[in-house]
Amino acid sequence: MSKDETNEQEQKRIASLLKHSIAPVDGELKRDLWPQMLRRLDETSSSRSWFSVMFSTAALSSVPWFDWALLAALIIGVCVFPNTIPIWLYHF
Amino acid sequence: MNTHPYLRAYMAGITVPTMLLLVVLSGFLIARYTFHIPIPIERAIIFPMALVPNLFGVWNIFYLWLRPRRHLPIGFHGAILPFILAPAGLTLATCSGFLVATSSGLAWFHDVVIPYRFLAGAFCFALIAYYLVWKYLVGFFNEVLGIA
Repeated sequence: MSKDETNEQEQKRIASLLKHSIAPVDGELKRDLWPQMLRRLDETSSSRSWFSVMFSTAALSSVPWFDWALLAALIIGVCVFPNTIPIWLYHF
Repeated sequence: MNTHPYLRAYMAGITVPTMLLLVVLSGFLIARYTFHIPIPIERAIIFPMALVPNLFGVWNIFYLWLRPRRHLPIGFHGAILPFILAPAGLTLATCSGFLVATSSGLAWFHDVVIPYRFLAGAFCFALIAYYLVWKYLVGFFNEVLGIA
């Protein structure tokens, strides 16, 4: 028996030992995650509405300064050219 | 179990333009009946009502699909959308007859003329608006629906 064949047999043996030592994994989840998701949504919505979460102080303070600058530029642009508002509305 | 992430991405995507549709319609009505800008509402509303929300939904599905492959922040992903929406909107407006190219600029609704030299600036403003909307509004709804 050559050295290559011995190595191949050894590898096969190790592969088979590994296969037997590790429990088979199911591709599908055994439990339904959707109720957990609903519970999480309920926890958030029961305490505060999405609107108040979106405009909370914590959410607003996490906005970086350059995004505020962009928003300001946008508002100034609309104020300087108010006749373009229908065109903006059309594109949304 | 399939939790339909693409369906949720579509729903999160269409939420913002669908909510804004009321603002758009109100704006058109005010412009027409208060400021007497001759907007053909029945033709002008087609684009923001039919095309924009669906494109937002599909674009958000694309964002979700793209995320494991080539991640781009959601704000920048949204800022690419005007490159598709602007030509589509301009084409539809031209076909509907309320956008005409004149020698001085683009005449919208036979009343508002945007000089050609301002078009690039206006497009930059559109990019900024879409960047902010996608980063903060669509991103928020993605979080709410558990696909952020």
